[in-house]
Amino acid sequence: MRYVMVIDLKRCIGCYGCQIACKSENATPPGVFWARVLKQEAGKFPNVRRSSLPLLCMHCQDPACQQVCPTGATTKSDNGIVEVDSDECVGCRYCMMACPYGARYFNAKERSYFGQGLNEYEKVGYPNHPTGVVGKCDFCRHRLEKKLEPACVANCMARARYFGDVDDPNSEVSHLIREKRGQQLHPELGTDPSVYYLPA
Amino acid sequence: MAIWEDPFQKLSEDLKTTLRPQREWVAGRGLFLLLGHFLSGAGAGTWLFSIYYGLAAGLMLSLGVVALGGVAHLLFLGRFGRAWRIVRQPHKSWISRGLLSMALFLVCGTAYLLLERIGAVSGALGGVLLLLSLVGMAGILLYKGFVYAVSRAIPFWNTPLLPALYIAYGVRGGAAILLVAAALGVGGVELSSLEFIKLWVVVSSAVLVLIYLAGMSSSGVASRRSVSQLLGLRGSASLAFYLGVMLLGLVVPIGMGLFSHYGTVLPWVLGLVGVSSLIGDFYVKYCVARAGIYLPLSGEFPAR
Repeated sequence: MRYVMVIDLKRCIGCYGCQIACKSENATPPGVFWARVLKQEAGKFPNVRRSSLPLLCMHCQDPACQQVCPTGATTKSDNGIVEVDSDECVGCRYCMMACPYGARYFNAKERSYFGQGLNEYEKVGYPNHPTGVVGKCDFCRHRLEKKLEPACVANCMARARYFGDVDDPNSEVSHLIREKRGQQLHPELGTDPSVYYLPA
Repeated sequence: MAIWEDPFQKLSEDLKTTLRPQREWVAGRGLFLLLGHFLSGAGAGTWLFSIYYGLAAGLMLSLGVVALGGVAHLLFLGRFGRAWRIVRQPHKSWISRGLLSMALFLVCGTAYLLLERIGAVSGALGGVLLLLSLVGMAGILLYKGFVYAVSRAIPFWNTPLLPALYIAYGVRGGAAILLVAAALGVGGVELSSLEFIKLWVVVSSAVLVLIYLAGMSSSGVASRRSVSQLLGLRGSASLAFYLGVMLLGLVVPIGMGLFSHYGTVLPWVLGLVGVSSLIGDFYVKYCVARAGIYLPLSGEFPAR
């Protein structure tokens, strides 16, 4: 089994809904964006095109972050999900230097969004994000265990995201990748990401 | 706004940019990492020259400098209480190899020095300890360049030239420390010979810097941006590059080295040359880290 996410760039409207849904679901601290959207403008007036590129951990099959981790804190599960064990991480940030997708964040110190100590929501969520270590998207593992889709998929209002098992040739993601020419980011690096993009 | 004033704000801005700079290994506590790289490299180089010249004081100095480098490494870590876990992955991680090299060097080097103090260094045990300390020293000189060079995410670092550059700067750092030590009255250093060796190492490192930058400037878009951060007058690291790396790190040591080779220079002047060279050594590490820029993602928008 290998979980993959397929993002249809033709359907993505760049609303940042995935970014907010991820923040809401995982209660990531300020400065930490497990899911984010990169915007780009191309062309020259009047022929200008704006495009959005949603980004998250690519859960590579040959992860550069895992290769360089000196403690073994980064591991890859049988279902293809790349995880960080925050109890093992020493905060050397080598994985951040190795990740070509900017998917990892170092949580330097506890910080509130609102400047006057942690609010009730942050008090509940922040213990999942210990300081001094690196964190990243885990495809909402806690939701997968409950047979739910990752928050960014479930909350995408444009239905631009699909999630499933690529090892199942009959799954929706397998069909999409095959028939709509799903592409990976920086395939030349040989990391074999588990996030595929359908061209805009 | 300077990057160390509000890294959080800077991160938010970086995430929107096409060519995103790395900051974790250069800003804030990242400076401890650079200091650790600088000290451990120069300390290992000091060991090499001290063994060559038979300088007991140099050996002690070397161990002290490497140990300080180790402490700087620990201060950089987010959780330094767990630092021992770093030794777990020597089969794949250069940081693990670096820490093991440092530990091997410090343990065997200290034991070798103790044997020398009691006059028992000529036996088999002394030979083994010397060999192991040299293996540790080689590991320290080698690992830093490879730590950077294996990162395919940052093309400016992803070159086999970087390990060579870091070895050269470690060796010249060792010579520079001994020059400074000699100026401060540590006896036994043959200044003319050391200065001549140092001159060659500095010239070699200058050639390596030029080849490295020339190679990177004709590489991909991220590498070219990295080079422009160093060479461009408005580049984020240009002042550090021109003043630190070029002037203090190359021009002064080469100029004074030539002058001392063909004329007579007082030891304290050579000491100042050593200090100047050491500042250059630090800044080359700073500039390499500061100019690191990730592969662009936005240029990779899949299109039909």
